[in-house]
Amino acid sequence: MALTKKEVEKIAELARLELGEEEKEKFAEDLSSVLGYVQKLSEVNIEKVEPITGGTGLESVMRKDDETKCISDSQMREQILSASPNREDDYFKVPSILE
Amino acid sequence: MNLNELTIKEAHNLLEKKEITSVELVKAHFNEIKKRDKDIHAFLSLNEEEALEAAKKVDERISRGEPIEILAGIPAAIKDIILIRGTKVTAASKILENYIAPYDATVIKKLKEEEAIFIGKTNMDEFAMGSSTENSAFGPTKNPVDLERVPGGSSGGSAAAVKAGFSVYALGSDTGGSIRQPAGFCGVVGFKPTYGAVSRHGLIAMASSLDQIGPITKNVDDAAAVFEIIRGVDELDSTSVDLDWQDYWNSPLDIEEIKIGIPREYFIHGLNPEIEKNIKSIISKLEKEGAKIEEISLPYSEWALATYYIIMPAEVSANLARFDGIKYGYSAISHQPSAISRLMDVYLKSRGKGFGAEARRRIMLGTYILSAGYYDAYYIRAQKVRRLIKQDFDRVFKEVDVIITPTSPTTAFKFGEKTQDPLSMYLADIYTVSVNLAGVPGISVPVKEVAGLPVGLQLIGKNFDDVKLLKIAKIVEQLTKEIT
Repeated sequence: MALTKKEVEKIAELARLELGEEEKEKFAEDLSSVLGYVQKLSEVNIEKVEPITGGTGLESVMRKDDETKCISDSQMREQILSASPNREDDYFKVPSILE
Repeated sequence: MNLNELTIKEAHNLLEKKEITSVELVKAHFNEIKKRDKDIHAFLSLNEEEALEAAKKVDERISRGEPIEILAGIPAAIKDIILIRGTKVTAASKILENYIAPYDATVIKKLKEEEAIFIGKTNMDEFAMGSSTENSAFGPTKNPVDLERVPGGSSGGSAAAVKAGFSVYALGSDTGGSIRQPAGFCGVVGFKPTYGAVSRHGLIAMASSLDQIGPITKNVDDAAAVFEIIRGVDELDSTSVDLDWQDYWNSPLDIEEIKIGIPREYFIHGLNPEIEKNIKSIISKLEKEGAKIEEISLPYSEWALATYYIIMPAEVSANLARFDGIKYGYSAISHQPSAISRLMDVYLKSRGKGFGAEARRRIMLGTYILSAGYYDAYYIRAQKVRRLIKQDFDRVFKEVDVIITPTSPTTAFKFGEKTQDPLSMYLADIYTVSVNLAGVPGISVPVKEVAGLPVGLQLIGKNFDDVKLLKIAKIVEQLTKEIT
């Protein structure tokens, strides 16, 4: 199966990646080759097989919501906030989202 | 005595007997790094001042006559995808080039309690995506055995650091073979524990249902020693598991009680015949010593790599969505402010510029696989085949204790050999990915070399039977010494 340049552009938009023109063509080729390979799975009979998410069978492990367990010291809080390229007080600042 | 050749146990004994100091040990490793890491490039950053300070503290405790922990005062190299508070953690990506970790990974917290010494952060493929370290944004690592060849990957810097005598041991992470394959290529031991045995908190996520942290060491005893410290349930990783672990040290296995499975699907086309010969000679030696050898079948192995290349990129695309140019990391807001008029531009330009080619390729692949109309055909189908692959292992482990395979179909390849065709690079993982899909533990142990290049033998164990796996790996290690 071969992806078109247009399909690559669509995927790149969904993935929020800006690609160069040359790269679009290279990716169309690369992705097609990998997708061609994984088509192999259509050979497997999966009737009545349930999907699994992991090898150890654990599911939906819950814990109590306890904020002291997460960001427990002010220094860590400050480090996290100051890693932002555009901070205002204790907020992350983003460009306008309204047209 | 060459301090750069010491194992953990040897170094620990010498420290306890006051025949060496931790400061001497740490200095010897930094000297070697200064001499040779220009050529090898195992490290992305070094931590000399703090390491020496920490070593002094351990020496003071020893001189006061206090007992010390097994890893105390001993140099460790950490793959640059594991967070150490206050130090840079890049995942070998431009997008995290200047990122400082705000907290410690759980494994680091545990090593700090042991007073382990962190000497530096090791090179890797960007976000652990690759099998050669050629995908590092900061240049590849070279194989200390042959500088024209790759060290394997993604934990190539960690494996090279241990082989070159830059560190006594290292931590790596393994999503599809990233500990075992580089260990095999460099001639050291690499152990991927059962999924859930070691907390992933503070490991930058690549594919969360597959990732696991593990040790790269000079021998199996050292892998067991590090594993004993880093394993355990963690509130901050809900997939970690609470278990009473068997004792590794005081109850050795009787070789006559061991049943070993040899999967016929792993000894077919594509496997270097010299590697096959070396693996098979260990198997005959095991049999001669009394182990029971059985040919087994893992029929769904044939589809493991295809399954992996659906599930892994799907998880990659979700995990790497967090790099948005807003909270941390490379941002178009600071670097190309004039090109930004709306929020979408921040995403497109930060991610387009910050991620390298392989990371982008896998994000694209995963996005496609998870997109409307393809999700069932690719992702759900792969999750179903994943169950069949796991059932293969469940069935076989009712009959045998351990499975033996080669770690990789080839020895270390040359730079550039596989970079043009991503699929050929992906095939380097053909023997290692099933292990991650099934969650089971796997370890690579060096056996006899082929044409001067290291060869890894992979042992695969049952879920949470890590200790038994390590004991059998130790037997293989001893038999290898007898043969060579």
